[in-house]
Amino acid sequence: MAARLIRKITPAARSGTAQYSSGVRRVTLIPGHGIGPEITVAVQKIFEAAKVPIEWDEVDVTAVRGPDGKFGIPQKAIDSVNANKIGLKGPLMTPVGKGYRSLNLALRKEFDLYANVRPCKSLDGIKTLYDNVDVVTIRENTEGEYSGIEHEIVDGVVQSIKLITEEASKRVAEFAFEFARDNKRKKVTAVHKANIMRMSDGLFLRCCRDLATKYPDIKFEERYLDTVCLNMVQDPAKFDVLVMPNLYGDIMSDMCSGLVGGLGLTPSGNIGKNGALFESVHGTAPAIAGQDKANPTALLLSGVMMLRYMKLLDHANKIEAACFAVLKEGRVLTEDLGGNSTCTAYTEEIIKNLC
Amino acid sequence: MAVRLFSKLKALPSVPATYASAAAAPATLSDFDLQHKTPVIRKQKLIPVAQYGGRHAVSMLPGGGIGPECMGYVRDIFKYIGAPVDFEVVDIDPTIDNDDDVQYAITTIKRNGVGLKGNIETKSEAAYVTSRNVALRNELDMYAYVMNCKSFPGVQTRHKDIDVVIIRQNTEGEYAMLEHESVHGVIESMKVVTASNSERVARFAFEFARRNGRKKVTTVHKANIMKISDGLFLETSRRLAKEYPEIEHNDMIIDNCCMQLVAKPHQFDVMLMTNLYGSIVSNVVCGLIGGAGLLSGRNYGDHYAVFEPGTRNTGTAIAGKNIANPIAMINASIDMLEHLGHHFHADMIRRAVDKTVNVDRIVTPDVGGTASSTDVVQSIMGNIGLDH
Amino acid sequence: MSLISRNVFRALVQGSQHVGKGVHTSAVNPEKNVCLAPHSISTLQSQVSKEGRIKCTLIPGDGVGPELVYAVQEVFKAASIPVDFESFFFSEVNPTLSAPLEDVVNSISRNKICIKGILATPDFSHTGELQTLNMKLRNALDLYANVVHVKSLPNVKSRHNNVDCIIIREQTEGEYSALEHESVPGVVECLKIITAQKSERIAKFAFDYAVKMGRKKVTAVHKANIMKLGDGLFLRSCEGMAKLYPRIQFEKMIVDNCTMQMVANPNQFDVMVTPNLYGNIVDNLASGLVGGAGVVAGASYSAECAVFEQGARHIFSGAVGKNIANPTAMLLCSANLLSHVNLHAYSKMIKNAINKVFQDGKIRTKDLGGQCTTKDFTNAVIHFLDHEV
Repeated sequence: MAARLIRKITPAARSGTAQYSSGVRRVTLIPGHGIGPEITVAVQKIFEAAKVPIEWDEVDVTAVRGPDGKFGIPQKAIDSVNANKIGLKGPLMTPVGKGYRSLNLALRKEFDLYANVRPCKSLDGIKTLYDNVDVVTIRENTEGEYSGIEHEIVDGVVQSIKLITEEASKRVAEFAFEFARDNKRKKVTAVHKANIMRMSDGLFLRCCRDLATKYPDIKFEERYLDTVCLNMVQDPAKFDVLVMPNLYGDIMSDMCSGLVGGLGLTPSGNIGKNGALFESVHGTAPAIAGQDKANPTALLLSGVMMLRYMKLLDHANKIEAACFAVLKEGRVLTEDLGGNSTCTAYTEEIIKNLC
Repeated sequence: MAVRLFSKLKALPSVPATYASAAAAPATLSDFDLQHKTPVIRKQKLIPVAQYGGRHAVSMLPGGGIGPECMGYVRDIFKYIGAPVDFEVVDIDPTIDNDDDVQYAITTIKRNGVGLKGNIETKSEAAYVTSRNVALRNELDMYAYVMNCKSFPGVQTRHKDIDVVIIRQNTEGEYAMLEHESVHGVIESMKVVTASNSERVARFAFEFARRNGRKKVTTVHKANIMKISDGLFLETSRRLAKEYPEIEHNDMIIDNCCMQLVAKPHQFDVMLMTNLYGSIVSNVVCGLIGGAGLLSGRNYGDHYAVFEPGTRNTGTAIAGKNIANPIAMINASIDMLEHLGHHFHADMIRRAVDKTVNVDRIVTPDVGGTASSTDVVQSIMGNIGLDH
Repeated sequence: MSLISRNVFRALVQGSQHVGKGVHTSAVNPEKNVCLAPHSISTLQSQVSKEGRIKCTLIPGDGVGPELVYAVQEVFKAASIPVDFESFFFSEVNPTLSAPLEDVVNSISRNKICIKGILATPDFSHTGELQTLNMKLRNALDLYANVVHVKSLPNVKSRHNNVDCIIIREQTEGEYSALEHESVPGVVECLKIITAQKSERIAKFAFDYAVKMGRKKVTAVHKANIMKLGDGLFLRSCEGMAKLYPRIQFEKMIVDNCTMQMVANPNQFDVMVTPNLYGNIVDNLASGLVGGAGVVAGASYSAECAVFEQGARHIFSGAVGKNIANPTAMLLCSANLLSHVNLHAYSKMIKNAINKVFQDGKIRTKDLGGQCTTKDFTNAVIHFLDHEV
């Protein structure tokens, strides 16, 4: 069963990012469901105002019944991402019921998005209990506890397999160090539980250590998962870039979002060897969909991350600065941030600040 | 209804437990109703035992009348000696016409496995509200009731040194609560005796005798009149007696038994009987020994055990007057500690009770003393004699 | 493959060994279906010797453990608490000096209570064993439930106020089963075992604890959206058990959301029940909210024994010998131990003294922003011991 999984992991190859320096690039845009379309429109408007050289290729990923009878992503969407290698995506809703695979998971699998990156940075103007958070969580996205191999051996006894491979661990560790170098970060912390899971987490840890020797300019440290949790809520400034296996990453990334004000403000990117998909990780919020109340910040910041990934640094900085300025000023905010403005007004305000 | 019941019983001779009730149907069927209307095998889901770090959780049902005060004394004593037991108190409002509180109490006993209870009043006379005590026993399938009747030397009675164990079938027989008026002015009340329940309780009695070094088991019945029902009960116990050759077995008709008890109680050792006779005999023996306030009773099922004062009287008349005899409830709590395996603490209380009643002779008016309830409890705590 | 099956079998045996006897069949002889009238389980009597003194196993542990344990002993001495310690040096990082596991286990099963510092768990073992010493101890004593009561301390500055939640963690199975193997070089499989029996047991423990402490709500923390079978089983067990507790509110929460809610709004939580690994995370997270590993007490329970230890287990090796570790957690543990063995008066005495030290506010160890030493703090607690209580 393990063999089945490894076969899928071909040698790590980072998608060529360097070539995106000039010219108009096509980017796949997946508006998503619920508030998705509204916030995508907001992001599109802002990008347009900032004269970002991007051409949107909008596709719909609402599940369709595939030839195998299962519901899945339409082929058109897959082709689009494969061609463009890069995408921006709003929140997706997976219908409840049998036969539906989670669309998020399906996309992740389809494009082999092995690393999930989530920068969590305290924003001026957003009041939380923590004001000095600036961490980036990098999460292995394809294996670990989420391998999906589970069986009930006897009645009432379930075994889930957590799979850790050298390939995938090295790949994500390398990405973490590259990311740290590209973004001028100082330190990478490997989060693990190798004192308990000596072999599996031990392997992950060894891979990180190996890679650390190749990046002497970046400080490397290893911490137990529980210690990180403890220290994170006491003093988040202790951490910089965190790299970890799937489940820990899932937990830590959401926790860090909690530190800076919730999922509505944290961008997220999935990096894979076939491309990269940037997304907002919050829900579809069907209750406020269509009422012009949604907060597009997470998707906008994800877009900023995407621009950085595409080396469009000037545009990225400009948009980010405008967004932060609006948040800091605190005059025009959406309802979830304690303001009373509409999504449109918030968008206009950001555009006004673009200069 | 009766025909339906019987046909089912005959069709399923191996059914291990049957319950029946004549409750007029409320709109929706609770678990309780289902069980009582459909006498089928009650599948017990095994629930992990409530024992944590050496401490047990126990349901406490103070009930009505003198129950709450007696429970207070038990808790005082437990706290004083540091018995490793945590009580979960469940109050049942006797005036409410539904079974919610009782159901909750039953649920807590299911979780905790063990309960300590006073007598619970059933004030409602509506036909569909069943007696709560009976409901509790039936729902928890506590088929055997055990009462250890041993004379207290310190209590003045006519007979000395009585030492009888009464074992009573607790879930069927006359207490099946199947009654109906078939023709105007004619009421039928059903008595249900099943082979499986008779066998369970009989085996319990013999097993009890063997484990406690008792010599004789007496089956009490009325098989000369109720030839089939009591006959089945008697036959079952005779059959089982053969499996226990070291234990002497005889039988006695209930009316004769009562006469023998007041005349020559020492001839009895372990007594085995059906539900109603058990109620009669236990009260008779209580009277011989010194009243309702001394003895404790134990209800056992396959999974649960509930401990209570021996005679099931609420004592509403003397509630709150500080004259209720706390010994019965304290004895019940000793039984409970024994059951949980806390022999050390059980012995500690037992010795103190023994000294208070038999040596110091500090007893309440119902057994000829002058002390108040609190005096008795104080004396017991004094006799436990811890120095902290 | 055979390795897997062998290991899984081992886990199953482990799983069934302890649980089987812990089910309500208390009054029954399984062969004959007959009640055993006066039957015996075991008693707490062995704790109490003739003179009314209580014996307690003591494991100082690694790192700052011995210093903290010494603080406890000092306070006990000063308060003349009738507890005798039976001390064992027990350590995984120092295997040559360590007392054998059997001795420690025997002592704890005899005394029923134990106070334990933190055991360091190295990332690798010298013998190639996958089980850590902590796991071995837990499995040997079947200490399946870990309870951490996270409560904001008076007068301690932290970002969150009035945190008061109880985290109950299963700690004998799940990810900590120590079943790992390298099937192909470079590919490691780690098995996570969840059994219905143990899940039900911990769920019941959590609900019973909530009842005992008069709590209103139990939250099950899980990741059943991804691990549908394993965590699904855990969740179903909790749901099933919740039906027996109609008067306690039951809620479920996905672990990542839970951590987020915890740092944003910890006051919404009351009692939480979690499988092994998530419990470890939530424990530490919650401890961080109220002042760190030095102030949160915890305890592990089996049916028979109780082991009192710090809620968040960190050896704090940087502070060894520096006399700066915060003994609060350990002192709170000792107070809980005293109340467990019914020495409520002494327990209150220590707790009041600790509260007074905090309210006084002058004596603070370094982790809480003060300059005082462990010794200073211990002396302050001793100073505030009020023998009249």
